[in-house]
Amino acid sequence: MKVRQRATIRALVAAAIATAIGIGVAAQETRPASTTKTAGAETKAADARAKATPRPARTPDGQPNISGMWLPDPSGRPMEVPSGAPWKPPAGFDPGTNAAYTFFAPDEGRRSVERDRRPMVVDPPDGKIPFQPWAAKKRDEIVAGQEKAELLDPRVRCLQSGLPRANLPVFYNSYQIMQTPGYVIILYEWNHMTRFIPLDGRPHVSPKIRLPMGDSRGRWEGNTLVVDVTNFTDRTWTVGHGAPPEGAPGSSITTGHGVFNTEALHVVERFTPMGDKIHYEATIEDPKVFTRPWKIAFDAFHRAPPDHQLFEYACHEGNARNVKLLTGVDIEN
Amino acid sequence: MPAMKESALTRLARFRPRGLFLLFASATLALAAGWGAIGGAQAPGARAAGSGLPRTADGKPNLGGIWQVMNTAHVNLEPHSAEAGMPGGIGVVEGDEIPYRPEARARRQQNYEKRAQLDPVGKCFLPGVPRATYMPFPFQIAQTASHIAIAYEFAHTGRIIYTDGTPHPGPLDFWMGDSRGKWEGDTLVVDSTHFNDRTWFDMAGNYHSDALHVVERYTLTDGGRRIDYQATIEDPKVFTRPWTIRMPIYKRVETNLQLVDYDCVDFFWSDYLRQKK
Repeated sequence: MKVRQRATIRALVAAAIATAIGIGVAAQETRPASTTKTAGAETKAADARAKATPRPARTPDGQPNISGMWLPDPSGRPMEVPSGAPWKPPAGFDPGTNAAYTFFAPDEGRRSVERDRRPMVVDPPDGKIPFQPWAAKKRDEIVAGQEKAELLDPRVRCLQSGLPRANLPVFYNSYQIMQTPGYVIILYEWNHMTRFIPLDGRPHVSPKIRLPMGDSRGRWEGNTLVVDVTNFTDRTWTVGHGAPPEGAPGSSITTGHGVFNTEALHVVERFTPMGDKIHYEATIEDPKVFTRPWKIAFDAFHRAPPDHQLFEYACHEGNARNVKLLTGVDIEN
Repeated sequence: MPAMKESALTRLARFRPRGLFLLFASATLALAAGWGAIGGAQAPGARAAGSGLPRTADGKPNLGGIWQVMNTAHVNLEPHSAEAGMPGGIGVVEGDEIPYRPEARARRQQNYEKRAQLDPVGKCFLPGVPRATYMPFPFQIAQTASHIAIAYEFAHTGRIIYTDGTPHPGPLDFWMGDSRGKWEGDTLVVDSTHFNDRTWFDMAGNYHSDALHVVERYTLTDGGRRIDYQATIEDPKVFTRPWTIRMPIYKRVETNLQLVDYDCVDFFWSDYLRQKK
């Protein structure tokens, strides 16, 4: 019955996220972390950890073996340093250790993990996403207009996550990585997304082809899987968590909400196995939206128990009531 | 809002089947060269099944690659005439007729008459099993000793077949069921259960209940260029006996071929937002 319980919680959470835009999911920092040193420090720390990590096992075709079942990062790290008045949790809500998980998913919250207060944005060093002025304004409009279908988080509408958003922690996601000769395959539980990442050095598809999850080309650099991703659409967000916190002013949102992109988006991902975790870095470049490339870094994948398995997440199929509320279209009849 | 509801629905209903057909037609053209060279130049059975097959490190036939059927099972599993915008087909059901219980046959007929409105695939819902196999879209398989993952191009439908000896968990209902596989010689036998009652088998309204049980057999043959596919469908609430469909699935061999994501839900929302403007 454990399975059923989990599915029930999942359904409740999905419904909560989809219907109650604005409910506090991620417990936010009440004061900005010290960030001036983070950029170089985090990368250096990751390099040192990678060096100290024993060489990962190899697959039969010689790839560093990262196969298996993985869970999202439970540390509740904020995306960026808030720029305005800091958000405060709703009255009576304990913003303590691992609060975001405890709030909606008690089972997950029991994994006792210290909250990590460092922002995921490690470059630029101030920990803030380097929006161009017009784009910062548009982002504020998006954040303030989540009741409008045209501005609503694409993931709440059950579009695919885009990248690197697919690798950011979200409720009821887990990951299965498979490796076959010439491919790394990542299966995402959330909305049954699959990435076949070819390692054979083939060129990207024609720029005429636009893909919600982009076009991935991978290569191994030592023990690090480097994936170059292009050919995105402009209809997904590049980062973001489930929902902004309740009552949060747009400018203080640290979840990365509303970080849109154009078709010019270019993402370079680095997956480095470090024992029971995979450290993840993504460089995000979109010269039409940002003033410069920027980088996020965190331990995105944590080894799941051996009996873990992915369950079907039928997102759009279960979203009929929300679709009707938003659009008047009844997809069930 | 009522006007929007009407137009979006009508658009969906009108657009999807025709869209799928056009896709099917273009895929046919794209495939024609490779298909002819493989299927046409060599008579089936000319090469003994099982010989010279690509194999994985654990010695099983390697189903890895991009595959697609070349038939009209997605239109109607049973033999059917051509209709405007829809190709006809000789059918894939053994014995030609699906053995419906009498009351279920009446429901199937209602489905058929209202198929443009009712087909779950027209609403961008997950297509179910075995329908995902013969949608007019390719799919990609990744095979390891313990898991076989299938990524279907339509609506980024995913399926994981466990070949690690684990049993069906449950009881839970899934759109794509729960699939556990085992090898019988060189044939992958996949047992799928725990379905909901909301998917159809084709665009003609052939349907099932939540008692559906599907056993598929994937036999790699012809040097790894074809899978002989068979699915036996059992559902005592809807059918008088188990029945079987059979079809070949062809390897897509184009250089640098990859799936080109058909994100149905994305199109649904784009369509809605365009009309709203």
